[in-house]
Order: sequence, then C-alpha cells, then structure tokens
Amino acid sequence: MSTEVLRTKPRRSRLHRREHQVALLFIAIPLIGFLLFTLYPLLYSVYASFTSWNGLAAPKFNGLDNYIKMWNDPYFLKAMWNTLFMMIGIPIGLVLSMALALGLNRKMRGTTFFRTVYYVPVISSIAAIAILWQWAYNGDFGLVNQVLDIFGIQGPNWLADKDTVKPALIIMATWKGLGYSMLLYLAALQSVPRYLYEAASLDGAGTWQQFRNITMPMVRPVTFFLVVTSIIGGSQIFIEINIMTPLGGPEFSSASIVWYIWRQAFNNLHMGYASAMSIVLGLIIFVITVIQFRLNRRNQFSID
Amino acid sequence: MSDPRAVASTLTAQPIGKDYVMMKSRLIAASVAMIATTGLLLSGCSAGAADTGEKQLTFMFRGGEDEKAAYTTAIKAFEEANDVKVKIIVTTADDYSTKLKAAIAGKQIPDVFYIGPGDVQAYVNNGIILDITEYVEGSDTLDLDNIWDYGVDSYRFDGSLVGQGAIYALPKDVGPFSFGYNKTMFEAAGIPLPDPDVPLTLDQFVDISKQLTVDLNGDGELDQWGTGLNVQWSLQSFAWSNGADFLNKDRTKVTVDTPEFAEALQWFADLSNVEGITPSTAQAQTLDTYQRWMSGQIAFFPVGPWDVSTYADLDFDYDLIPYPAGKTGESATWVGTLGIAVGSTTEYPELSEKLVEYLSADPTAQQTLVDAGVQIPNLKDTADTWVADSTTQPANKQEFLDIVNDSGRALPANNTYNAEWYDELFTNIQPVLDGTQTAADYLKEAQPKMQAFLDDANAQAGIG
Repeated sequence: MSTEVLRTKPRRSRLHRREHQVALLFIAIPLIGFLLFTLYPLLYSVYASFTSWNGLAAPKFNGLDNYIKMWNDPYFLKAMWNTLFMMIGIPIGLVLSMALALGLNRKMRGTTFFRTVYYVPVISSIAAIAILWQWAYNGDFGLVNQVLDIFGIQGPNWLADKDTVKPALIIMATWKGLGYSMLLYLAALQSVPRYLYEAASLDGAGTWQQFRNITMPMVRPVTFFLVVTSIIGGSQIFIEINIMTPLGGPEFSSASIVWYIWRQAFNNLHMGYASAMSIVLGLIIFVITVIQFRLNRRNQFSID
Repeated sequence: MSDPRAVASTLTAQPIGKDYVMMKSRLIAASVAMIATTGLLLSGCSAGAADTGEKQLTFMFRGGEDEKAAYTTAIKAFEEANDVKVKIIVTTADDYSTKLKAAIAGKQIPDVFYIGPGDVQAYVNNGIILDITEYVEGSDTLDLDNIWDYGVDSYRFDGSLVGQGAIYALPKDVGPFSFGYNKTMFEAAGIPLPDPDVPLTLDQFVDISKQLTVDLNGDGELDQWGTGLNVQWSLQSFAWSNGADFLNKDRTKVTVDTPEFAEALQWFADLSNVEGITPSTAQAQTLDTYQRWMSGQIAFFPVGPWDVSTYADLDFDYDLIPYPAGKTGESATWVGTLGIAVGSTTEYPELSEKLVEYLSADPTAQQTLVDAGVQIPNLKDTADTWVADSTTQPANKQEFLDIVNDSGRALPANNTYNAEWYDELFTNIQPVLDGTQTAADYLKEAQPKMQAFLDDANAQAGIG
C-alpha cells in the first residue's frame, strides 16, 4: 500500500473487500482459539487460585490461603528447587551444541549424516525417549552402567538414588535438546559474513580471537533465543519426570514443579491450590523473561 | 539472523501493519460473528443425538488393548439388546484421572465410567455420581449375593464412612494381590513345597529364601535370589499380619508409629540389608525383580489376577500360597478394585444403570473378560467353575478367592478423601530401605506429617 493511497480516501474494489473478509475469517480462527482456550482458562485459573476448589464442586473463595499455604509447603519449595537445579542442563547443552555446530560446519565428509543423527532425538516422542532412558539407567542391566563397567566403574542405580536422579534427568534432557540447538547454531554460523573472518585474519587474529570476537557476537541472537525458550521449557519439565520417576523420585528428589501441580490438581483434589502454584510459576517465568529481554536490549548492536 | 530484533519479534507478536487501524472494527465484528457461530455449532453437537431419536450413552474407562477388545464385544451385545448406542471413550491408565476430572470440570460427566473406591467419598459429596441402590436391589437379573461382598461394599457410602450404606457403583473387578513361588526352582533345589493353605512364618520365609539365594554358575556373583519385593505394594501385607495398621477404625488417626508397624517395616528392610536375600537394596524400587521373577531367578513373588495371562508363557511352573504371616499368624494382603458408576447428569439413568449391571455381572460378559485372562470372575458361581479348571496355571486359584472372601483388605487410602497422607509414607522411605535409618525413627518422623495430610483430607470431606 503506497503512501498516496493512504492520503486519499481508500477506494475499495469488491475483490478487495472480499479478500479482506476472507482474511478476517482466517484471523478469527486463531483469535477465537486464543480467547476460548488460552485467555479464558488463564483468567479462570487466576480466579481459582483464590479459592478452595476440588475440581468437582463449585470453587469457594478463600482469599490468600493458597498462597500462604504454598509458602509453608516444603514439597512446593523442594519441587521449585529441583526444577531450578535441572536447568543446569541449559548452559551445558548450549556449550555442547555450539561445539557440535562448529564441528559440523567444517567442510568434511559425512556432515549430513551426523546432523541427522543428532537431530533424531528431537523429532522422537518424549514419552518413548523417557522409557528408553529408563531402561538405559537401570542399575544392573542398563546400557549406561554396562558402558561404565567396561571402564571398571560401578555405576549407581541412577533413578533410585536421590543424588543421581537429577543428573540422570539432566543428561537425558540435554541429549534430547542437543540437535535442535545445534541446528539453529549451524544456521547462524553459516550466515556470518566470510569477509569478517578474512579481515580479522589479515589483522592477525588467531582462531580463538576470531571465535571470541566474531563468531560469538554474531550468533548471540540465537543464543538469546535458545536461553529464553530453554528456560521457559525447562520450568515446565513434566513428561519425562512422570514417566521415569512416577512418584517424584526417591525422597521427592526429582519432582518438578509442574509434576507437583499436576499431582495436587488431579490426584489430591486440590485444584485451587494447584492453580495458585501455576500462577506463581507463570509469574516467575514472566519476570525472568522480561529481565532477559532487558539485558539483551542493553547489549544490542548492529553492523552496517 | 544478525539483527537481534529479528529473533525478538518471533518471540512476541509479529509487527502489525498500518492496515490494522482500518480493520479493527471489522475484525471485532467478524470475531463476534465467529464466536456466535461456534456457539451454535457446539450446542448443535450435543443436541444432535437426541434429535434423531436414537439414545446414546457414553462409557469412559481405562485399560489396555485386551480390555478394550473384550469390552467392545460385550458392549455390542448390550447395544443390540437395548436399542441404544454406547460411545466408548478409552484412555491409558495414566491419563484416566486427568481426563475424567477435566470432563467433570467441563460439566461433561460421562453416563457410565470407572471410579476407584478412593473416589467414592469425593464424588458422592459433590454430586457427581448417582445412588444406584434402588435399581441394584430391585433388579430381577442381578443377584447381589452372587457378587463378592468386598466388591460391592467398596462402593457403599453412608455420608461419613465408605464401606457401608447406599451403593454407588458395582465392581468392574476385584484384584486380590496374592503371593506366588517358583515351583520348578523349589523342586530343583529339593526343598519341600510350601503348604497352599497355611501361611509360612516370617522366619520360615527367610530360611527358605536363604537356601534359594545362590550363585548357580559359580562366577562369584549371585544369580538367584529368595525374593525381591516392592515396598509400596508389599509392606501392607506384612504390617497387617504383624497386627499393625495404617489408620484407626474411624479413619481419623494415622497409626504407623506403633511398635508392630516399625517391626514389620524393619523386617522388610532387613530382607535386603541383613539377610541379603534380594537382588540389591535399590532394586526393590524398580521393575527389575519382576523381570527376574519372569526369567526364573526369584523364588517368591507377588501374583495378581492381571498377571495370569502373562505368566501362562513362563518357562517354569508357579503356584500361589498365602502371604507369609507376622506375629498374628494370620496372612493378610490387599484387594484392589475398580467400580463402574453412573454420572449424575445422565439423560438415561435407567439405561446407564442397566449398562453398569451388564458390565459388572452379566454372565456372558464376565466370561468374555475372564477368558481374556485380565481378571477373576465377579460372580461367585462363575468363579467356582474357573477355580475347578485344572488345565490352566496357577493350580491353587482358590487362593485368589480366599483373599477376596477372607484375608484381603482394602488399600489404606481407598476409604479416605484423598491419598496424600498415604503417599507421604513412601516419599521419604528410601533411607530405611537403604539401612541408613531405622524404621522406628522414620515412622516417628513420618506420622505427624501424615496426620496433617489426613486431617486436611477429612476436613475437606467434612468429617473427623
């Protein structure tokens, strides 16, 4: 639409009108979906969080009781801590996928093969992967311990020991997410202009300096994107926990916050309390994300 | 990709064009129209079935392929006999409670659905399920005396205690958690077979287990063990037969801090830590012992009716015995059950009740399910012929029935408003199983926490 058209009164042909109507219909579908299936439940759960509600009868208003209860609930705090702890996997995953992307960005034989290999876990169902790893972590017959055995290391019973269950889950989650991060990094690496490297090497910059001062800043947007989405995804970790340690692990050591919310809501008839915890979780994620965007804006730069 | 904002914009909404302002009012108009249409469509759906004059019931249950197939066949016969369409909604065991509760919260209660005995209190108090006493007692085709008392009583509720009063569901099945032994292994070791009617004492049980915990191939590592039990499913039995219990009679007090309870739990933990007759401490938590039992490495192992079809393919012979008994000398174990209830909002209460009766107690339908090897018969007379059938394992099927009739009890959390207090017992139990904390200490710590959860549950249920 040119500026001239805007200044004069817009003339609309019938075709133009029809197309707009059709376009509106297309927009209406996701919009209604959003209102009905996202906004309405969201508002309702805000309301539910101030009620005593068992999910069966009508909610009864009880003010801030749920929020006070939460503060004194050791399992809530433990589940929060577990969730936070398992995010250690995010930086590890980023470093590994960056390394992989650098490796696979080189001109050598078989890169396509390896890219596929690392991407397979990403497209596999998380439920299937969780069951697979559950076997791999089995204390006696598990693949993980069999490999350790070759090196003479007696592996623990990963999922039944409160000290190893979280690392076990982190390893699995990292393995699963590796391919996705790697692919994004690969794309970012390939869009870094070659002339920057040429100029740098003419100025005598070594490989490490080039990586530090060219590659890293150039792929920053991708790193930012991955950090934000991983943290959001990481706070919602649930399926693998529920499959691999259905009771929240030994001494509640692998229970994530979403797992605990789910259990309170659907097993213990505390839908109101669960709603309150979800609101708190939602707010935490929101605040973290806002902070990240702020930090990112401060560090923005552009090359012209 | 070099502009960070490009990424940021994928996270937030896409930039909005100038045309937006012009469109705004029409956008709103169009969305209102769409919402109105959607509303019409939705209401149209629910009215559709009634318009054509065809009656439709929904039946929601959980189960594997075997059960689905068996139920589909059984329900087809019901549809033909009653000129009704039954819509089947089947979920996996894991999803069931989530999906059912979502349906209830959305005011779409199925006409007929599974409930656990633990749900009865909450569902009745909140008006989710119908009282079917009148229908059940008045039915010509149903003989209550022919169904296991335990199965029916689990779904009775008098407003304060589950187990007595009006009937709210009929049993889908009863699942006695029995105890089995590897007959082939006993014979190979020359150990006399245990008596099928008299329970072993705990000492006898440990003794035999020790004799069967051996290194068969001489590589210096054990490859056959006496037993390997999961604390969550077997502790009840040993606690009960030792004279302990989880709750008092009124279900108002948690009683796990008694010496009898501590003794039973300590003995259970010592099976691994002191006696060394299980594969290894942590293994009791995993499924391993189940796989080992099936590959013939374990002498004693629990057997439920749902295992019988799988165990038919085992390479060894097995049979049932009563659970070993503690101080009281009386064997005890739990009986699981699921019930079939009628939703309170059903359009066709009579037909729904008929479907419940049919699924729970119709002889032909029962035969279909029993033949599938997924459950024991609900009807006493069908069960008698089933026990007498000597062509299938285990030989001592009578033990299953004895448990249902006599030595079996409900799982502790079955009759309380929710299971939070009971789950608490197992959440932090690992140090006891590892031998780093004594059972008595642990139970003393756990009791107040469990009591708090129980008080909370009873308060919500309006009792105690």
